[in-house]
Amino acid sequence: MTFGYILSICTFASIYAILILGLNILTGYTKQVSLGHAAFFAIGAYTQALLVTKAGLAFWSALPVSILLSMAIGIVMGLPSLRVSDDFLVLTTIGLNFIVMGITEYFDFFGGAMGIIGITVPSFMGHPLGTSGYFVVTLIFLILAVYISYFFSKTWGRLAMEATGEDEQAAQSLGINTALYKIYAFALSSAFTGLAGALWAHSIGSLFPRNFSFEMSVLFLSMLVFGGLGTIRGAIFGAFFLYLLPECFRFIENYRMLVYGALLTMIVILQPNGMLGRGGLLDRCFLKLTKRNTETHGTLKIG
Amino acid sequence: MLQLLADAFVLGCSYALMAVGLNMVYGLLRIIHVAHAALYTLGAYVGLYCLYHLSQSLWLSLTLGAVFPALVGALMYRIIYSPVLSAPRYVALIAGAGVFIASQEFYRLIAGPYPYPFNAHFKFISITSSHLNISETQMLIITFMVCAFLCLYLIINNTNLGLMWRACTQDMELAASSGININLIIAINFIIGSALAGSAGVLMALYRNSVFPTMGAMVSYKAFVVVVLGGFGSIPGAAIAGILLALAESLLGMVPFFNLPRDAIAFLVMVLVLMFKPKGLFGR
Amino acid sequence: MKRYLALAAALMLVCGIAFSAQAQETVKIGFITPLTGFAAADGFSSLESAKLAVDYVNEHGGIKGKKLELVSYDDACQPDQASALTKKLIENDKVVVMISGSYSSPSRAAAVICQQAKVPFTSTYAVHPSIVEAGEYCHRIGMAAPIQGRTGGYFAARELAAKRIALLIMNNDFGVSLAEAFKETAIKLGAQIVYEKKYPLGETEFRSYLNAIKAANPDLIYAPGYYNEAANIVSQAREVGLKCWLMGDEGYDSPKFIELAKSAANGVFITTDLNRDSNRPMTRYFLENYKKRTNIDADMVGASAFDAVMLVSHILNKVGTDTNKIIQYWDTIKNFEDCATGPILMFQNRSAIRPMDIQIVLNNKFRYFYRYNEPEVIYLGNKPEGK
Repeated sequence: MTFGYILSICTFASIYAILILGLNILTGYTKQVSLGHAAFFAIGAYTQALLVTKAGLAFWSALPVSILLSMAIGIVMGLPSLRVSDDFLVLTTIGLNFIVMGITEYFDFFGGAMGIIGITVPSFMGHPLGTSGYFVVTLIFLILAVYISYFFSKTWGRLAMEATGEDEQAAQSLGINTALYKIYAFALSSAFTGLAGALWAHSIGSLFPRNFSFEMSVLFLSMLVFGGLGTIRGAIFGAFFLYLLPECFRFIENYRMLVYGALLTMIVILQPNGMLGRGGLLDRCFLKLTKRNTETHGTLKIG
Repeated sequence: MLQLLADAFVLGCSYALMAVGLNMVYGLLRIIHVAHAALYTLGAYVGLYCLYHLSQSLWLSLTLGAVFPALVGALMYRIIYSPVLSAPRYVALIAGAGVFIASQEFYRLIAGPYPYPFNAHFKFISITSSHLNISETQMLIITFMVCAFLCLYLIINNTNLGLMWRACTQDMELAASSGININLIIAINFIIGSALAGSAGVLMALYRNSVFPTMGAMVSYKAFVVVVLGGFGSIPGAAIAGILLALAESLLGMVPFFNLPRDAIAFLVMVLVLMFKPKGLFGR
Repeated sequence: MKRYLALAAALMLVCGIAFSAQAQETVKIGFITPLTGFAAADGFSSLESAKLAVDYVNEHGGIKGKKLELVSYDDACQPDQASALTKKLIENDKVVVMISGSYSSPSRAAAVICQQAKVPFTSTYAVHPSIVEAGEYCHRIGMAAPIQGRTGGYFAARELAAKRIALLIMNNDFGVSLAEAFKETAIKLGAQIVYEKKYPLGETEFRSYLNAIKAANPDLIYAPGYYNEAANIVSQAREVGLKCWLMGDEGYDSPKFIELAKSAANGVFITTDLNRDSNRPMTRYFLENYKKRTNIDADMVGASAFDAVMLVSHILNKVGTDTNKIIQYWDTIKNFEDCATGPILMFQNRSAIRPMDIQIVLNNKFRYFYRYNEPEVIYLGNKPEGK
């Protein structure tokens, strides 16, 4: 079993991909830029961890509960978005990140500075899941998340969210309840992110408050913007690429983060819509390869 | 109590110096200039280099620590931000974040991961009494901040340059069509803002006696809070908010068993303020 | 141009994943450490010290004739990277023993993997108790927090006879666990805690806390944490006019602490296991050669990493690479002298036990002050039978 390392990093990349899919709904469709998504991630992870360690639930039974709880808390954390907009919202999300980090560090109920240890290895049909087993589980959840995202992207809800994001007043004049859709976006996003958090907690086995830092939130947004904001393929590509890139640069270990930062900046400037976003480099390559008509690609069929 | 206020005031000055640069960039370009912290650290390292290789005098360090980041800041605008001005604003945000990440690594690779002491010599006034002790460094920080803000205020409100700047913040296109050289104004904006960040870096390096690659991170988060509290684009707002924030943090720090970290407090305050005043305390 | 960028990226992706382990005549030990990120300084110290130890071992015959090889990776102090890298080290690099030169969160993640994979593991300076609790394959070279905190408590309350003590605690597992043990001991020995406050890692402004402490009029301030914050604490404490004893822990044990705090560092006590005045040959070897190698004075973090490699090499030389033999022998080690800190008297609950030192900063240098050999101070809980 020499693929433990590769499976491991692919598992983490998949977990991030699920999260970025969630972020895409909030920031991609509804344009509520969140620079504090590590807070939602932390909530998912901590909820699952507490359910498993303190309430003694098993992985599978705790999972739906933590997704629902994450959604509920996500809705509450999303309420400020009704009051503030644009850049103030960005800063509010940063604030939420630090506040959640502070709470998990301060209150002993969440483990405090000592963290939460001993998150159990999940098992399936009585057998504990190894690295490959857990990767399969994560992959299945990722496929599920993609399917749900795709399904959602074809609904009226997505259009309403995009309208809210584009021009809130115009959307309101069309009769869209923008407040409702913003909250809806937060709820959906937190559900995905909560799931990702729960999966993450089990794959590491322990949680510490500083694991969910502001730098992580910046990474998440970078993944989405890099891949292509507003697109499912962009979300997944961004997550995998930006997670695996530093791993590939291990041969220049001392310089890898420098290269990573520089590359991120360069590519984001050259490809502001993301590599797989509309008009992005890889998107155009892909289109050329499949010889699809550029005009019809990207429009939604209404009706 | 008086001592507490004085110490908090000094801290607030450092916040204000960082925040004003952010505010200026935002006021003009509506970009959240994440890479500002990289310039703060750059100023500290440039100052350090001066100390070790040029002269032990603080004044040279301070000058070069302001000038060098100023130029780099203007360059940063040219290379990083100007191509993405027409793109959605989160692109500039991510580009800035990339620069910040790369800059921390750059400093680490050049200067090493260890903190360096900042042993500068200088003479300045200080206040020593039974009720109040303000060290030379503290007096320097206060004086610098007050002078910087006064100059800035005078420039913005009493000169042609300031008039042009204000015009640009209100409506860039109209300003351009009125014949104002907006590229020049933007460049000057970055130069001044970055110079202030760089000098804040030198002053804080002196105050804390340490320079290390990740020193910008902590300060920049605080600066965001100050910018929001002070109102985006408002220069006096940044000054007042910086000081108020430092006071709030210090007073809450006195409460014996209140353990919420300073950052969380700052952001909590920010979120609460935003709930009541969605455009910041002095925003427009 | 843009096309080539994407192509190059894809190529690098493929190349990076296609990793081939090469079979060589070496004995490999794995090492993870933060070389990038906020913990880069500690990562550098621990890596350089580990390399120094590896060179020493190889100059003195290696592991039964074969060369000792250190395979190290940067985990950036992130548990997910530590977790994946541990798997890589175990499966691809085929290391015989894992050493973590990183903080508690990554170390714990690595420990769990090593336990599952049945690979012997030791942490160097990470103190979280759960690291050894992961299982019988997991050990700790550094001092356990309960012991170190207790030592501090004894020194403060008994040796220095402080009656009023203020606590300024770094709010992470390191500071919190040290403070807990210290508090328990100090109170048991008759002292009173007059102030207690936790601050976050990275904090630079302590004046408001220190002014409050001043008002509480303590005899001693115990401030467990790392040297960056500690340097600020002690210099601001003196600035604010506090004249009481200042006490810290091994996190202060770095030349940087003295450099950054300048004259305020003088008079500060720390609990540690690195005795810079020691005449023990290995201690002197480490201190001198680390300085030669890096041009920087050594610190405790480095000493722990050095000792981990030295201990592991000793075990490998003694019983070879069979995992079961390694684990069995590890628990029976007594009086290990070939280390910079120590000597290591024994392993109790898989945590190293050694005499505890108190060092003091005098004339801008760490100097020996006191050594604890008493069983009730240096052993975890009850003194084990037979020693």
